[in-house]
Amino acid sequence: MTDTMKNKNNFLHKLVLQTIGHEKRQHYMIPVFTILLSLLFGILVIALLGKNPLQAYYNLLQGSGLAPKASYAGHKGMITDFTSFLNALTPMLFAALAVLIALKAGLFNIGVSGQMLAAGFTATILIGYSDLPAVIAKPLVILIGFVIGALAGASVGYLKHRFNINEVVSTIMFNYIFQNVVSFLINTFYVDPVSRQSKNVGQAGRLTLVDVVIGDYKMDIPLGILVAVIGIAVTAFVMNRTTLGFEIKAVGSSIRAAEYAGIQVGRTRVLAMMLSGGFAGLAGVTYYLGYFASIQPKVLVSTGYDAIAVALLGNSSPIGIIFSSFLITVISKGSTYMSSTSGVQAEIASAITGIILLFSACGAYVRYKVNRWKDDRNN
Amino acid sequence: MNTIIIDGLSFALPLFIMAIGGIYCERSGITNLAIEGLQGFGAFCGALFAVCIAQYFAGNSPVPFYLAMLFAFLGGMLFSLLHAMLCIKFKANQVISGVVINILAMALTEFLTKQINASIFGAASNKFVLGVSARITVPGLSRIPVLGAVFTNLYPFEIVIALIAVIAWYILYKTRFGLHLRACGDNPHAVDAAGIEVSRVRLIAVMASGALSGLGGICFAYSISANFSSNIYSGYGYLAIAALIFGNWKIMPTLGACLLFGFARSGGYELVKVLEMPSSYQDLVMVLPYVLTLLMLIFFSKKNHSPKALGEIYDKGAR
Repeated sequence: MTDTMKNKNNFLHKLVLQTIGHEKRQHYMIPVFTILLSLLFGILVIALLGKNPLQAYYNLLQGSGLAPKASYAGHKGMITDFTSFLNALTPMLFAALAVLIALKAGLFNIGVSGQMLAAGFTATILIGYSDLPAVIAKPLVILIGFVIGALAGASVGYLKHRFNINEVVSTIMFNYIFQNVVSFLINTFYVDPVSRQSKNVGQAGRLTLVDVVIGDYKMDIPLGILVAVIGIAVTAFVMNRTTLGFEIKAVGSSIRAAEYAGIQVGRTRVLAMMLSGGFAGLAGVTYYLGYFASIQPKVLVSTGYDAIAVALLGNSSPIGIIFSSFLITVISKGSTYMSSTSGVQAEIASAITGIILLFSACGAYVRYKVNRWKDDRNN
Repeated sequence: MNTIIIDGLSFALPLFIMAIGGIYCERSGITNLAIEGLQGFGAFCGALFAVCIAQYFAGNSPVPFYLAMLFAFLGGMLFSLLHAMLCIKFKANQVISGVVINILAMALTEFLTKQINASIFGAASNKFVLGVSARITVPGLSRIPVLGAVFTNLYPFEIVIALIAVIAWYILYKTRFGLHLRACGDNPHAVDAAGIEVSRVRLIAVMASGALSGLGGICFAYSISANFSSNIYSGYGYLAIAALIFGNWKIMPTLGACLLFGFARSGGYELVKVLEMPSSYQDLVMVLPYVLTLLMLIFFSKKNHSPKALGEIYDKGAR
């Protein structure tokens, strides 16, 4: 190695160590690094396509109501875009919580999308199509969402505990089963012949208040976001302050150690999957009876998969996922506006999400490498 | 009866070749949940190449199809390097890596398909149209009662897959390399002590898995869907994983599992047709392979033994 290269390398090491070398800061500096790298990658791709990357990114913010657009339709404004953004954010927060709780127990819930569908569909046909008054219907929707999701999650946990079936495989099988069965039921009994989707649910059961007039604006107000904030607080409390949280984390870090400590591994896993499924169910009702009012047959939403990215990026911490779901939702929600104004294909949004995910998978390695460099330097 | 066998085989064999790739990968000790993404990316590469060269060949020429198979093979192999890099070099969690690769493959191919269609072919489309590959019937053999259906209306890729499967079986069980590969999955330290580089064997296994997955993917694109679009991600890769798990990570039992999926699927479709049920009942039939998988797993999971070192990050220094 020549001298200049060595110098350059040293300089790079120093730079990296100064920014993400500090152990206390690593838990948020590494995700920030990951995001910056991914956004840089996005800039590169958009520039290669001959479009203005900064303009495109600004469009993402505009589409999410975080920056003013050039013009608005009647009764619309930045604030209406923003409440619509919150509307999209709500299911993502729940879905990320679902992935996170399973991750803490060392389990992978790939089935969030399927659990969302099962819960959303059940709530739609039981409450959404009923004539119950709003005061009763809305809490019931939330309850049913949680219970159905929890049942779906618990059965995955039980299959793992009792029959040693890998949860990744069983959740995926359940995804396809829910997807096809729900599609069959919608097409046979509940289809709206015009939209080819399920018939719209009534306003009483819907968790988003639609077209509320405030001042000059007509906006959608998601009630679910309050429940989501409560859910995050409860999860943080359970994980950090209760025996159940401790047991879940113990099982997630080492099954054998947890067994020696007298923790019932099987029971804890089933419980964790039940909670995880419950939150997935809430994501489902806030999606199908909130953000939307109908279900498209044969389609599993990508929220469940994006939530994996959100949870990993948020460092599997309940507070962390607030930031990461905000970011991922900006990218996905803003992409429609971006593609209509900048002409960049909207699909690039999920590609950037994928790249973020790819880099965050390397997080552990980066931490290991940086700490090695630091040890070398100290010696 | 004949249609059930013909359609069942054309579904089971591509599944089987992906599962063989998965067996290679997992027997070497690397968990592979990435098959779904690998088959999609492989199919994308093959389809892209086929669409690009289509104008130089006559409409019924089989050459683009074979070249597409080759490129799907290479494309899957290329993309699997990502899995290898994450799992072997970066020591990432192998399950996470697999999931990441699936999501990335889905996002990338969807984006690229639209972008390439718009900027090169000047069409706003989210798919590459391929058509269905020509079929062949083996004269003579196809006259045998019942079994003759196996040789009737074959897709050419079924023959290619059968050949590759035999070679793959031979390499895994009868060669020195196959022995090393299987040992890597059970006791990598012993392999290391014998002077063989574990990471190199695993790299080759992951690449083989990517290549075979890509091959399986392009076969589905040329038969069931007749195009490349995001429809390719309808769970074939995961079915292959389920097949290899209750094939107990062995090639011959896995073939049985794949055939079962194939015949359950084609049998169900045939049933809907015979009973003249409305087409929405097909959705219910589509559930069959997945329900079967779960049931079979419930019965067989306890007895199955995954490779001992599966999913463990190989650390030379660990004792």
